[in-house]
Amino acid sequence: MVEKVKKLPKLFQYFKDEDQFAGGVAFCAGCPLELTLRIMSKVLGRETVIVGTPSCSAPVLYGQNIGSWHRLPYYSCLMTGVASSATGLTRYYRKAGRDVNVVCFTGDGCAADIGFQTLSGAAERNENIIYVCYENEGYMNTGIQRSSTTPRGATTSTTPVGPAGRGKTTPPKNVPLIMAMHHIPYVATATLSNMDDFVRKLLKAVEKKQEGFVYLHVFTPCPVGWGIESDMSIEVCRMAVKTNYFPLWEAENGIFRLTHNEVNPEPITKYTKLFRKYNHLNDTELAVAQEDVNSNFAFLRHLTTFGTKDKNVKK
Amino acid sequence: MKAKEGELKVITGNSAAAYGAMLCRPDVVASYPITPQTEVVEQLSRFHADGILDAEMVEVEGENSAMNIVAAATLAGGRAFTATSSWGLVYMYDAVLQAAGFRAPVVMANVNRETPGILAVSSGQQDMISTRDAGWIQLIVENSQEILDTIIMAFRLAEDYDIQLPVMVNYDGFYLSYLAEGVRIPTREDVDKYLAILKTQPQRTILNPQKPIGAGSHGILTEFMELRYKHCAALERAKKKLDEIDCEFGEFFGRSYGGQIEEYRTEDADIIILTSGSTVGTTRTVVDAKRTAGLKVGLIKLRMFRPFPREKLIQTITGKKAVGVIDRSVCFGWNCGPIYMELRALSPEIGRIPIMSFIDGLANIDITTPHIERAINDVHKASKGEPYQEVTWIPLEEYL
Amino acid sequence: MAVKKFSSKYEAAWSDADALLLCLDTGSWRTKRPVVNKEKCSYCGLCSIYCPPQCMVTKKDYFDPNLEFCKGCGICARECPRSAIIMMPEGDFTP
Repeated sequence: MVEKVKKLPKLFQYFKDEDQFAGGVAFCAGCPLELTLRIMSKVLGRETVIVGTPSCSAPVLYGQNIGSWHRLPYYSCLMTGVASSATGLTRYYRKAGRDVNVVCFTGDGCAADIGFQTLSGAAERNENIIYVCYENEGYMNTGIQRSSTTPRGATTSTTPVGPAGRGKTTPPKNVPLIMAMHHIPYVATATLSNMDDFVRKLLKAVEKKQEGFVYLHVFTPCPVGWGIESDMSIEVCRMAVKTNYFPLWEAENGIFRLTHNEVNPEPITKYTKLFRKYNHLNDTELAVAQEDVNSNFAFLRHLTTFGTKDKNVKK
Repeated sequence: MKAKEGELKVITGNSAAAYGAMLCRPDVVASYPITPQTEVVEQLSRFHADGILDAEMVEVEGENSAMNIVAAATLAGGRAFTATSSWGLVYMYDAVLQAAGFRAPVVMANVNRETPGILAVSSGQQDMISTRDAGWIQLIVENSQEILDTIIMAFRLAEDYDIQLPVMVNYDGFYLSYLAEGVRIPTREDVDKYLAILKTQPQRTILNPQKPIGAGSHGILTEFMELRYKHCAALERAKKKLDEIDCEFGEFFGRSYGGQIEEYRTEDADIIILTSGSTVGTTRTVVDAKRTAGLKVGLIKLRMFRPFPREKLIQTITGKKAVGVIDRSVCFGWNCGPIYMELRALSPEIGRIPIMSFIDGLANIDITTPHIERAINDVHKASKGEPYQEVTWIPLEEYL
Repeated sequence: MAVKKFSSKYEAAWSDADALLLCLDTGSWRTKRPVVNKEKCSYCGLCSIYCPPQCMVTKKDYFDPNLEFCKGCGICARECPRSAIIMMPEGDFTP
């Protein structure tokens, strides 16, 4: 008989409110989005308005006629209008003297492609918004098409593999780094395998939102789109962090720091072999992938050397 | 009770629009420059910097964002204003549809400029025409005083509990936007009094944290159709509401404009000229001259374009012998002017009289008195039973 | 046209969770269900943290799935550090 650890993990203390979503909602089995949204709803509390976009999260965030799948107020936008609509809301609430969490919840397709202009504009104006981008590396809701954050070599329905195609030919955009260059108070990357880290960053987001724009980039694999079993979602997140493919970092007022240091990073092949979308890669392509991971991480590490040694000092 | 007379200033049409918006105390103003509207947002920014306008000013990175911002601000419960023109209007088209579908009571000044397709930095109503199916209320005004007054009336109309629709106030770019004339500017206290009635109405549905009400549900099947039906019904109600609002404005401020249309010397007229915008001013003088010469011609000034004032037009035109419509735009696919085309839809009620389309004034071609005289003469000939040309592109007539 | 009664009192596409909170019968999706070995469970809470529908509920000294909403994804079984959860075929259980 195992010694019972009677106390629940510290994480549970951060849950401000109960889960505002209905018990059964239309996310695929094992979908990390469902986990992200439910955790967010518990941590952020009810003084929150969620601004959504047509995406995998839309069938759950948006209601159906008079019915709703959750108890939070939401505003359903088009992909081009997420950050701008959130600006309108936050500016009015500010004028009316209300402290509201205006949270944008979009995928990488919206944040990096079609909604990028408005995201960049809102960040430059330093609006008091928390923008959460979930990175599943493609347009998943419409059937797994490539976006500008899809990694080099990945198979998607618009970059399929065949005699004349080897998946996506260009490397992905690094959106969190671009957002950090807008000089906003807080940017962070997070994923679900490191849940403590994610929740801590959410709480920091709520605090930093008072100063201005906050951007969170959450790595959320898509079991259907990436070709993994529904029980592998958390393991894929974990391996992405272990191989330094998705390093966990934050930038507070321009000072970068890694929030998780992988002492002995695993080779990228341990990550790519986990799912079907990289099955076709040959040794040369895998070597290129490893090189990409190494150079990206070296660049990030170099950024963390700038700024004062005391990371708590605000610029 | 009457409002004070108001200070008389010589200001441009754009400035008048900015004054109109400022007097209504908007909560959020989105600004992005585009000729010929830029001065509107510049003036509003100046009001804000000088401490006169207490609003959240958002200098956006594109018109699409501008419309999304103001629509969201009204859905959160505020009052919001922006201004745009031609390409800016079509760039924000998805947000314009969003604002209408969500019934967001936004007021926008659209300074008419040519679009789409051929690049022109000059006046024309094509931008308004290309968005006529968006579901907005669209008003057209004739001079700077009317710009200021109509913007105040637009807030009154948009935020009315029975209406809750976005309103676009159109005025001719370059002709009105940069023309300086004398404008009476009401005091802010008087505008507050005029708009006070809105506070006595029930609160419209808004995005309120702590209440589980969301904006923008998926509309499915009959519920979707219900929402469309309600939208169309609200547009219908807007016609009579504008007439009432115009009357109230007249009683309080001493200036009224007729509501959906203004009828100028139409009671005993044989023929009618229908037009809109700054052209109306020129047409008035031509109509007066023709009347002196013995021709019984009347003028209808179209103030409300959407919803289309069918009942009023049928009432005024029935019994007349011929009608000519001067359009500052084209209706692609029908090879005529768009306002003409809409008027033609009323033929069964008006009766089988000659209705003629005159296309003029595109891209800053001045609609001068000889052009209007030409139009009136043609309509007069048609009214006597002579054969007539249905569509006339007046400036091209020499070689067509 | 006389319209008897609209289904919604709103003029636009507003939804109201107080009027109607929708819920899907996601429990009917699964083909496997998690079975928790109470003796092996150390009450670490990881299954509850990682469960996407957040349906691993506490039963004082062990965790158990809420079968109304469990989609049978299997994350709890994979993540359990004590291998206290096994995914069993749904067909093994009487309805």
